[in-house]
Amino acid sequence: MKAIRVQRTGGPEVMEFVEVPIPQPKSSEALIKVSVAGVNSIDGQFRDGRLRTPLPFVPGQEGSGVVTAVGPQTKLVKVGDRVAWSGTLGSYAEYVASPEQHLVPVPASITDEQAAAAMMHGLTAHYLVNDAHKLKAGETALVHAAAGGVGLLVVQLAHAVGARVIGTVSSEEKGKLAREAGADEVIVFTTQDFEAEVKRITGGKGVDVVYDGVGKATFEKNLNVMKMRGMLVLYGMSSGPVPPVDPAKLSEKGSLYMARTTLAHFTATREELIARTSALFAMIASGSLNVKIAKKYPLAEAVEAHRDMEARKLAGKLLLVP
Amino acid sequence: MKAIQVRKNGGPEVLEFFEDLPVPEPKPNEAIVKLSASGVNFIDVYQREGRYKVVLPFIPGQEGAGVVEALGEDVTTVKNGDRVAWAGLLGAYAEYASVPAERLVPIPAGVSDEQGAAAMLQGMTAQYLAYGTYPLKAGETALVHAAAGGVGLLLTQMARNIGARVIGTVSNEHKAKLAREAGADDVILYTHQDFEEETKRLTGGKGVDVVYDSVGKTTFEKGLNVLRPRGYMVLFGGSSGAVPPFDLIQLSTKGSLFVTRPTLGHYIASRQELLARAGAVFDMVRSGKLKLRIEHTYPLADAQRAHRELEGRKTTGKLLLIP
Repeated sequence: MKAIRVQRTGGPEVMEFVEVPIPQPKSSEALIKVSVAGVNSIDGQFRDGRLRTPLPFVPGQEGSGVVTAVGPQTKLVKVGDRVAWSGTLGSYAEYVASPEQHLVPVPASITDEQAAAAMMHGLTAHYLVNDAHKLKAGETALVHAAAGGVGLLVVQLAHAVGARVIGTVSSEEKGKLAREAGADEVIVFTTQDFEAEVKRITGGKGVDVVYDGVGKATFEKNLNVMKMRGMLVLYGMSSGPVPPVDPAKLSEKGSLYMARTTLAHFTATREELIARTSALFAMIASGSLNVKIAKKYPLAEAVEAHRDMEARKLAGKLLLVP
Repeated sequence: MKAIQVRKNGGPEVLEFFEDLPVPEPKPNEAIVKLSASGVNFIDVYQREGRYKVVLPFIPGQEGAGVVEALGEDVTTVKNGDRVAWAGLLGAYAEYASVPAERLVPIPAGVSDEQGAAAMLQGMTAQYLAYGTYPLKAGETALVHAAAGGVGLLLTQMARNIGARVIGTVSNEHKAKLAREAGADDVILYTHQDFEEETKRLTGGKGVDVVYDSVGKTTFEKGLNVLRPRGYMVLFGGSSGAVPPFDLIQLSTKGSLFVTRPTLGHYIASRQELLARAGAVFDMVRSGKLKLRIEHTYPLADAQRAHRELEGRKTTGKLLLIP
């Protein structure tokens, strides 16, 4: 089958488009013919070695497709099922073998693209707004990278709950997208100081929650823009890891709460995973949640997809089509 | 008036007893309270040492109870003769203190002045921890460090009243007995056992829902290891020392954990909230649901001894100074 393979870590160019054997599903796995694979920043972290996995490997954690074979102990899916997944390495390929518990059913009312695009980012946005800090009507949320993959979904979900959303973005163009998604206020952080702006917008009170996938670049100022007893949810570190934190700061800045979350802990059981994807897919099908797809690339052009992802110019999800 | 004054930072010996310090004059919105009792707390130690900075010289003591004797201008929330208590404002190790009236809480009938002084700081702390910072629910499990300490015994009782399971850590058998009497389901003598191992064993490997940690430096990291995924680390003190800066990534690898470092002031910031929390505590005391252990009372002049005994970790429950 055709696949992308990484033999040594490095920049986008280390991804080679090659012919490799079709994997065999192990006892509780299923073999899926991939319709669409999602591109995520975590793929870049495996590719460049920031995250480790044995070489050589096929990158990609997310996609949608159809089950074509099952292992002998597989019980949760059968041949012919339309499925989507997140957390199975090897998705940049025509076929991937996935543990059955990662596979969620995809309803007929949504497309393969929507299903693939909704998994990692959608699950993240869903747990952020429902569980990391359960957002309530009337609260104010600060959403960094509001036009990013997760950001646009968080903005929509927050708006749907009745919260007031302040989004930060890097350009006026991205600001427009964030507003369309439901952001009440947009701060272009490249020309404005988000700390001063958030204080102005909230009359000095601060926000109830900050949803932050940026990390280092925003951390200190985040602590300054929160209400007393507010919550900072750090779910990523696209600008780099936050340096060690002195707990005394949390108390000094208002007895703040802080969490550093990963998706795995919010989809630890199949029950929880399916509850989230069912909710997401239903919202997508009804039109109340829009998953913006920026561009689709043939699988052979994965290198270009990573270059575009790292240049951060495109707003929305990047997809690979085998 | 008689009072303790700290003129330089240091050990208990810097708590100097004076007979003739001036009685404070009430500023607008303040009231003069003649103290019946003042509470001794670990924060007094940190301020005396200089770990928490206070401009010198100062009269220590963050907690007191007594009777209103004089009012500054514009005071409408209390009147002369009212029995009141307060926490969080310096000056209680004295015969008289001038306190912002907004911060004075009426002591209801059925609660004595001494109970008032004993219940404010530690009582409201336990109350905000169990009902505010991480509202405990029946069936949940909490790990409470220093379970026989001032806050510990109160927090354990409140958690038991809520129906939560309490695992308490203590340093000796006597304290273990007190913690059990307060309602701890399991007690770990951390001097003999590794609390991380024990807590994991006691919870069948699952971990606890919340850790209430007033010890800090020696317990924080291990506490992260005993939390269930998405559990809460509530760090509210540092009796073993301040927790040094830590790498956040630990929170994610150890289960997407939540951390907070609350202080009482942020949970009683408005008068409404102050009255609600103090009221809840006094109500629990009056109804017998919350037992205050007032085992050590000292004359105001013996403040040094009180601090020595508190720091020696020999005391249990509340220490009071009587002017």
